[in-house]
Formats: sequence, C-alpha cells, structure tokens
Amino acid sequence: MEPCIQAVHITKKFPGVLALNDISIDFYPGEVHALLGENGAGKSTLIKILSGVYTATEGKVILNGREMHFQNPRQALDAGISVIHQELSIANDLTVAENIYLGAEPKQKNGLFVDKKKMIADAQAVLDFMKVNIKATDLARDLTAAQQQMAEIAKIIVKNSKVVIMDEPTSSLSEHEIAALFEQIRMLKEKNVAVIYISHRMKEIFEMCDRATVLRDGCFVSTCMIKDVTENQIVASMVGREMKDYYNRKPHTRGKETLRVENLSCGRHYQDISFSAYQGEILGISGLIGAGRTEVMETIFGERRADSGKIFVNGREVKFKSPKDAIAARIGMVTEDRRRTGLMLSAMVRHNVVLPSLTEHHKPMNFLDFQWEENVSREYVKKLEVKTPGIETEISHLSGGNQQKIILAKWLIANSDILILDEPTRGIDVNAKSEFYKLMNEFVARGGTIIMVSSELPEIIGISDRIIVMREGKLMGELDYRDATEENIISLASVRSDS
Amino acid sequence: MKSNSFKSFARKNIVVIFLVILCLGFGIGTSDVFSTGNIGGIVKTSSFLSASNIVNLTTQMAINAMLSAGLTYVIILGGIDISVGSVAALAGIVSMLVAQKLPNVSVFGAILVLVLSAVVVGGICGTFNGIMITKFKVVPMITTLAMLNMARGLCFVLSGGTAVFGVANNYSWLGGSRFLQTPDKPTGWIPVITLFVILCVFIMHTLLSKTVFGRHVYATGSNIKVAHLSGINTDKVTLICHILCAVMAALGGVLNASKLQNGQPAACDGYEMYAIAATVLGGTSLSGGRGSVGRAMFGVAIIAVINNGMNLMHINSYWQKVVIGLIILLAVILDMAQFKKEE
Repeated sequence: MEPCIQAVHITKKFPGVLALNDISIDFYPGEVHALLGENGAGKSTLIKILSGVYTATEGKVILNGREMHFQNPRQALDAGISVIHQELSIANDLTVAENIYLGAEPKQKNGLFVDKKKMIADAQAVLDFMKVNIKATDLARDLTAAQQQMAEIAKIIVKNSKVVIMDEPTSSLSEHEIAALFEQIRMLKEKNVAVIYISHRMKEIFEMCDRATVLRDGCFVSTCMIKDVTENQIVASMVGREMKDYYNRKPHTRGKETLRVENLSCGRHYQDISFSAYQGEILGISGLIGAGRTEVMETIFGERRADSGKIFVNGREVKFKSPKDAIAARIGMVTEDRRRTGLMLSAMVRHNVVLPSLTEHHKPMNFLDFQWEENVSREYVKKLEVKTPGIETEISHLSGGNQQKIILAKWLIANSDILILDEPTRGIDVNAKSEFYKLMNEFVARGGTIIMVSSELPEIIGISDRIIVMREGKLMGELDYRDATEENIISLASVRSDS
Repeated sequence: MKSNSFKSFARKNIVVIFLVILCLGFGIGTSDVFSTGNIGGIVKTSSFLSASNIVNLTTQMAINAMLSAGLTYVIILGGIDISVGSVAALAGIVSMLVAQKLPNVSVFGAILVLVLSAVVVGGICGTFNGIMITKFKVVPMITTLAMLNMARGLCFVLSGGTAVFGVANNYSWLGGSRFLQTPDKPTGWIPVITLFVILCVFIMHTLLSKTVFGRHVYATGSNIKVAHLSGINTDKVTLICHILCAVMAALGGVLNASKLQNGQPAACDGYEMYAIAATVLGGTSLSGGRGSVGRAMFGVAIIAVINNGMNLMHINSYWQKVVIGLIILLAVILDMAQFKKEE
C-alpha cells in the first residue's frame, strides 16, 4: 500500500533551537498513527509543518506521491489535511451547520446568497450518519465540549479530508465521551483516512492506535506496531530511561480531619454532598465531566456559593465569601485550566509565585519586599526543580509541566495546608507527571491534605489513598485505593440508561 | 552578542531615544545654524534648548502628566477612562466657584480649597465610574463616555456657560507662580506647578511599582480571574484605580484653573486623547497588565516637545494634531513589534 502522507527528512530550525532533526515518517491510509513524545519533543512542530503553519527548513512533505509546498494552513486544508486542535476552533455564536460549512457554504443558484436550507439539511445528514445526537440548527455554544468535537469531525467528513491530525482530542472528555470519539475515529479509518493521533494517555494509544512513532528532543527514536510493544517500553523510549514506580506511591499516615463537608447542595450542579478529608492523605474525586466535581471544589474555595450545607475547616465551621477567605484559612486551589485561571501568562515567574502571599508578606505600609520575593522564588524554583532560565522569565515561555509546578509553588509559598487540585496533570508529559506526583506525596508527608479531582482513572487509582465518586451532582460512593479498579469506578460514575 | 544587547536596549528604550532625537532636532531647527552656519552656536542660539523654554516645557507638560499618571492605572487594568478631560474641567469650575465664595484666604488656604475641590469632584466621578464598572458590569468605554458627557454638561450648568473668574490672587499661586527669583528673571525660575506635579507623579509611580496594591493592579490587569482566585478583591482594586484616575484628572483640572485664574466650562477639551496617547507612547499596553507611570512621563514629554517645538518653528498648529496622530500609531506599531520579537 502507498503511504498517504510522508514526512521526508524534515528539519526545522528556529533561532537558537533545532526543533526537528531529520525526521522521516510515513502515514498510511486507514491507520491510526500515534505521535508520541514528551512536551518539547517536536510533535507540535511536526504537525504544524504537515498542516502548513510552518515551512520546514529542510526536507519535504509528500501527499499521495506529490511534493507539497504549503504556504499557509488554508492550502493544506484544501489539499485534504485537517487538524483538530486541543483547543477547539469553533465559532460559538454560529449554528452547528454554519460551523461545519464555514468557508465552504453552499450557494443559491444566483451564486450570491448562502443556501441555508441545503446547508442545514446536508449538515444534519452528516450528523445523522455519525449517529450523534446533535441538531444542525443548535448554537455551537450550547454544545458540550464533546459535542463540539463531534461537530469538528463532521466538518472533516464534509471536507472529505484524507489526513486528520488530532492533537490531544480527549483531554477535556470523559470516559464515556472518549468511547464515542473512538467510534468516530474507527469510522474515519473505514473511510481510509490517515489519522495522526497525539495523546499523553497510554491507555488510549493502546486501545486506538495501530502504529506509533516516538520523538525525543526533536529526533526520531522509533516507529513500532502497537501490538508488538508494552506500555513500559514506549514510556522508556519517550523519556530515554526506564520509568520505575511512576506514581511514587508512599504509605501515608492519616492524621486528624482537616476538612468536612456536610450536606452541601448548589442548585442543579450538585446535591447533598458530604465527605471528609484528612491530614496526610490524598483524597481522589472521580466521576465524569459534568458530574459537579469542579463545582464542589469551587464552593469549598469560596468561589461559588452553596444553597445549603456546611463546610468545616479543622473542626470549625467556615463561610467563605470569596477565595480570599479560603486562602486566609490556608486552602489553595490549582484550577483545571492553568492558562485561563491559573497563571498570569505575560508576567514573570517571580510575580506569579508570590501573588497570593503578598497581602501577608510585605514591608511596613504595604511596600513590597523585593528581597523576600526574590529569595522565595529562587528557593521554590530549586526545590520543585522547575526548568526555567530564571525567575524573571515570562511564564508563557515555560512548558506545561513547569507552569504547573509554578502554580503549586504559589500555594506552597502561601503556606496552604489543604490543597485542592483540579485535573492537575492535564496536558503535561509523562516525566513531568511523575515529578508532580512526587511533589504531591512530599506535601502530604509533611502533614498536608490533598483533594484531587481527576478524570484519568489510572492516575486517580495510582495516587489517591481514598477515592470518592460523583455522578450527576451526587456522591455515589467511596473506595479505598486497594479496592479501587477502573471497572468499579466506572460502574459508580457512569449514567445507566435504566436509572 | 554585543550588538544584540544594544538592539534589545534600543528596543526597550525606544521612547527615550525618540525623545532625545526630537529634542536634538528641534534644538537644531530653532537655532540660527542655517543662517549663520555656526555649529558651535547651536545650544546658545536655539530657542528650543534655552533654559527658560525648558522650564516652560515642564509647565506645559503639567496637566497632561497628571491625567496620564492616573490613566496609566486604569489602562493597566485593561480598562480605559475617556472622561478625564471633562472631569478635569468640572473640578476646575467647582474649585473656582468655591474660590469666588472664599475670597479672603491665605496661599495655604487657597491650596487647600483647590486640592479639596479636586479630591471631592474626582472622588465622586471616580467612584461613580468604578461602581458602574464593577457592580453594574458596564464596560469602561461606555461608563466613561457617559461620564465624559455628564461632567462636561455639569460644567456648563454650574458656570452658566461662561467663564468663572474674579477669584483672589492667592488662588493662582499653585498654578502660576515660581520660586527662585533672580535679577534677569524677576518672576522666578522654578514653577510651583512643576514641583507639585513631580510630587504627585512620584507618589503615583511609587504606589504602582513598589507596593502590594500596585502589584494587585498589575495582577488584575493581566488576568482578573487568576487575581481573584489568588485572593485579590478585584472589584476593590478596580474601584480604587478609577478613583485615583479621576482624582488625578481633577487635580490636573484645578492646576489648569489656578494657572489661568479662572474656570472655563470648555477647558481641557480633548485632553483625554493626549493622555491616552502619552500613556500608550510610554509603553502601557491597552490590553492590560503592563505599563508604568514613570515611562508614561516620556510619552507626556514627547507630546509636549512636539507641540512646543512646532510652535517655536512657526508650524501651523493644526499640523501638530496630524503629527501627534502619526506618532501614536508609530509607537503602537513599535510596541507590538517588540512583543512579537519576544515570543
């Protein structure tokens, strides 16, 4: 069989950086080809070259035997190469049909006006073919993240693309929705589309992909058939060494109760939630996206008001009006979207890490203590092994894993005793994840309390001491990590048709 | 490496370099070097570089410096205040109306009247703007557009449409008198207004760059959500910034009234545009999160130098507006180029 798209000896240089070094990969029609590597390995650069965002310094892109010279993404798209980005590119105020046909609207006979009827009918036909429950006339903003992704896939079908690149398509989907997405990928396979799949989640790679190519530091490491390798082999080739005990599980000693939630309810978001968290333990909160986990955490952190119920910190009832009160009670929260709600991206590392601590740590008359700021920033950059050129570096230049460490440092500097982590390892690479787990364990060993919301089942089983599962705003059950399996968590978390 | 560091120095200090070039240009342009060919006499003969013109320049910068220093706070928040010119005029009118009622005051009493009028008028206008923006979620552009009209309207209502004049001489000390009289300059060398403005700008600069509150302003402007989740009362920060901005504008307005010794209902018309221009020239980003009061002063200086230099060269004053418009565009383009390079 002829390869559908080929990268041939591609090298890409940026000023001072060799992003890709002589990469050659063939992608075949009807195969799902995983592109693996840590952040910074060159995956994104490669897909940007394939999709016309960048031009290669050396080497060529061959599509169906013809060498392509894309000047911009539009040309690549017209040639049949589609990309589904991690952050979806959907116009919120347009309907699904308008989104699907964006830039290629069917015209009326006079050639001037959009043939809305035909557009809606055609779009609906595609959506029905995909067997998804979306109306072509729905507004994109009313769709869930998963449904928006389905609309993107419908776009690909309409465009009749031959190559589809998916960049972390499952990062904001629940297990249930991932299964639906995989259905669609299988459908694309049957239509002989070449799918290039990027993900940090090993489980998905083994479930969905046929072959995998590993990149490391801009260099080609290996291409292999998925059925011939083990997860450990792949991880080892990504990080360049054997990963032992990925989660660094340590025996924790549970101390006194630090946080208790009693009968907390908030409208349709969640109802009657009660649980406790203890010193020296990691409490995992599992469930599907939309189960109300984040909302409960926001309430504990003072960012959302509950309609009823009580919250106790160290045995005393608290009524937080805003995160300010929660921070004063030594609670810290790492939000799920670090770019939007975790960091001041254009600010320096040192300004980010000290932000919540400034009201407590200053000189007389509220003057900033620059010396303290510098010392404490350096100390934590070192302690957490943050890879950054310096504390004056703009935080947007750091990789995702290092950014996440900075957010953690923020709350460590603020002396938090209780840390709420919402999807703390989303979108960061294997190595950084493992380091982050180590830091979590250290925090707990020092007598801290961690409450971690995570949609990744292996992670929540691997790191938590106790797991509570939520479903549709209700608490479904609690499991000890020794009893927890993916199966029994899923059975608690998923919505059954008979219920 | 050496040329690289020079480049980055030049890029960071483009406004300063530009200001120096402008001064040199006008220095040469207003000297007699073209008629006499005597290069050594440039500094001596240049009417732009003369000591008294440079002192004059500082008084011409004064009002805009006050407006820009306050506006910097609001722009760093990611907002805007286009009502500063009108608020300045209103404060000028109010202070002169109060001054008419209190003719027998000392110099100190006059300063107190002027400053208190400014604090009250600025405080009310700023609080109004701040509450509209934080509580009623009206966008800053619209809130302050409304304030622009309301304050200007009140100027005419309170003054009856004519100038408020006939106030005691002591009221013009703050805006019009000078220290350090010498035989060749009996009016004095150092303008009080310049010292007053330097003091205000210094306080505003220190508050922004050296205090926890200042850091909270930057944080709110960079990412209001992150700031809130880091325990900052972002509504309070926004409110205070709008009050500071309006009070500074009002102080600028009373300085102007004191200088002229009367209150004009149409005073400071269009000054908001000069203040925005100066702030942007000084590198404050309209999308928020970046900027500095100190650097805004370079923007203020550039605008004053252009106006002053073109006046001395007898260039039609209508052209000054055209030139300033072009320079604002240039500054913004350079500014964006700088950030693009950094990425």
